[in-house]
Amino acid sequence: MRHPLRVLALACALTLTPACASLELGATRIENPLAAAQTIDQRAYALLHVYAAILEEATDIVADPATPLAFKQALGQAERVATPAADTLHVAVTAYVRARADFDVASGASQPTIQRSATALSIAARRLNEAVAEAQAPIAELEGLIRAHRG
Amino acid sequence: MLNLLLQLQLLLAALSAFLPLVPDAHRARAGEILDVAAKVLAAGSSIASNADDLAAKLAAVRAEVEAMAASDTAVSVQQLDAAMERVRAASGAFRAALAAEASE
Repeated sequence: MRHPLRVLALACALTLTPACASLELGATRIENPLAAAQTIDQRAYALLHVYAAILEEATDIVADPATPLAFKQALGQAERVATPAADTLHVAVTAYVRARADFDVASGASQPTIQRSATALSIAARRLNEAVAEAQAPIAELEGLIRAHRG
Repeated sequence: MLNLLLQLQLLLAALSAFLPLVPDAHRARAGEILDVAAKVLAAGSSIASNADDLAAKLAAVRAEVEAMAASDTAVSVQQLDAAMERVRAASGAFRAALAAEASE
């Protein structure tokens, strides 16, 4: 055997090839919790938790001394935009949930009361839709940075 | 992913055991190559661990939202407050980590 190292490497490669083929490389599937939501309040709830999970991940990245300073600053900038948007989303979804509860209670009341609560619910729903749309962009930006960091 | 990296690390350890069989002239170089490969795998393992962590958290959120949707359950104000509390805690930790890095 003239080249034992080469033979060994070839043997390893041949042995590992079927095993590697059966593996889903990079198989860490990132779930999209928002896709599971059926209602706008569930969507908002999912978005808040997704953002919290992304921030927890970003904290680990920032604490890593190997992370470049410029990347940490980019994460910080994205967070400064996303957190106020999440705050606004929380206010809007809380108002929506309360308006819906008021509407449910008012269903047995007089017509003007029903009309009033229906209008309030409609306004709260519109504001919640706007808040979800406004929060999604900065949160997606932060998520994109984290995905880019992972490669 | 973590399993794959672990398997590769084990393979590397096994290969290291063959180092004495390598001719003297090439042994140092082979050792260096194995050392570099081990460092790369360790770094990859760290990144994969973070990726798996985020994926697990997102999967947990999705499972909770799916359960809500399946049972047609409305989100309560208490659940929303708890979610926002998690955001505030995460934001505080993130800013503290960023400030600590900036002060170094």
